[in-house]
Amino acid sequence: MPAGHRTRLLALAAGALAGAATVASSLAGSHVGPVTPRAAAQTIAIPPPRPLKADPHLVRWAPVAAATVAREEPRAEARPVAVVARGTPEGTANVVLVLGRSHATPAGVWLRARLPGGRLGWLPRRALGGYVVVTTQLVVDRRRLTATLLRDGRPVFRAPVAVGRPSSPTPAGRFYVRDVLRDYRSAMYGPLAFGTSARAPGVTDWPAGGFVGIHGTDHPELIPGRVSHGCVRLRNPDIRRLGRLMTVGTPVTVR
Amino acid sequence: MSLPAWLRAYDRDDAIAEAFGGALSRRQTLQAGAAGAAALTVHALAADARAADSSGAATGDVAVLNYALTLEYIQAAFYSEAERAGVLHGPLAEQARVVGAHERAHVAAFRRVLGTRAIAAPRFDFRGTTEDPAAFRKTAVAFEDLAVAAYKDQIPLLRQPAFLAAAVAIHSVEARHAAWIRRLAGVLPAARAFDEPLPRAQVARLVASTRFVVSLPRTTGTGAPHLTG
Repeated sequence: MPAGHRTRLLALAAGALAGAATVASSLAGSHVGPVTPRAAAQTIAIPPPRPLKADPHLVRWAPVAAATVAREEPRAEARPVAVVARGTPEGTANVVLVLGRSHATPAGVWLRARLPGGRLGWLPRRALGGYVVVTTQLVVDRRRLTATLLRDGRPVFRAPVAVGRPSSPTPAGRFYVRDVLRDYRSAMYGPLAFGTSARAPGVTDWPAGGFVGIHGTDHPELIPGRVSHGCVRLRNPDIRRLGRLMTVGTPVTVR
Repeated sequence: MSLPAWLRAYDRDDAIAEAFGGALSRRQTLQAGAAGAAALTVHALAADARAADSSGAATGDVAVLNYALTLEYIQAAFYSEAERAGVLHGPLAEQARVVGAHERAHVAAFRRVLGTRAIAAPRFDFRGTTEDPAAFRKTAVAFEDLAVAAYKDQIPLLRQPAFLAAAVAIHSVEARHAAWIRRLAGVLPAARAFDEPLPRAQVARLVASTRFVVSLPRTTGTGAPHLTG
């Protein structure tokens, strides 16, 4: 747009705003005074509209609002995969990682989700709450005995870890962080523990199903190592630092 | 569905009734109406409604701007979630893309001017309305009509000319959004010769009755871990 034309348009806009201000003043019954061009120029700077960024690292999770049955396909008659409860054994809200959705049908939308225990299944949308998005990802490398947190694809944290012993290995696969536990009285878990959706295959009789955690320890001398019952142990300063960086819903890849 | 009397008076062409038909049961409507604004879970809207009601207890431009910011948060989240869901196509997808960018720009503008006084973004559960084109269309009509009526109610309360000028600039854009989505929904874009303002307590009541604003689920606990160790 030519500069002169733009200036004339701005002057016209300022005049229109002055009129609006006068009307508004009389409606409000307060003394405002007309808007001068100078005042209009001092208005809120509205930034230019920007499109949503296509973010390959963005994932979304949702809480389970009502206990439900996950199914192999997005329909009520499909074979059940798992029962999904509202809460976790620790009393926090149960959450699932949302991976995709079906088309809208008269019966509603179905969501494909990663479930507690590591399985995939379809859940009715109405059984879940609102979405929360995260852009972090934790990678646990069982060969190198390290945990690396990525944010927007870039490493922001790395620490040595202990993983499961050969008789109770930390399971490989794709999981997610289900909850965060703090201020409990159990020195063996250190000051903070993340509950994950992974189940340790070697401890099926463990209370509450044998879910794998990522937590601190009272035996830092065993890190790095292969000594746990399936959990991922970090030194306490490291788990505290991770607690400030990693949130619920973060995908966890164990390889 | 049946709308309360205050909303029926405003909703002359039934656009809101139709839009919130799926999300708003008669029981919830009656509960919301009976409980009043003070009991609503939409804390930001309701709190601001008490602090600066248009009936005369205005406490300043900050309260008005935070109220506007809350409405913009809702709209920005709604359109962004719909765009990310990727279930809209054609003109409806174009509307969501363009309007969503506008609403995010409005949020950025209000947050910039309010600085540390800006309220935090609430959490939302749009209950599937961002994932079903028909539900999206109806809800978008309601949101845009509400935004226009809410701005109309609050703009006269603004005292600083700079804020007033910006609010008027945004108000007319919201009106264009309303006309656009009403056209796509097959509703008359301009239903009447004169628009009415909608007092903020009533806006808060309506938003609360949709149950779109939610609290963050409790994902932090203090119980003894049952993890394998």
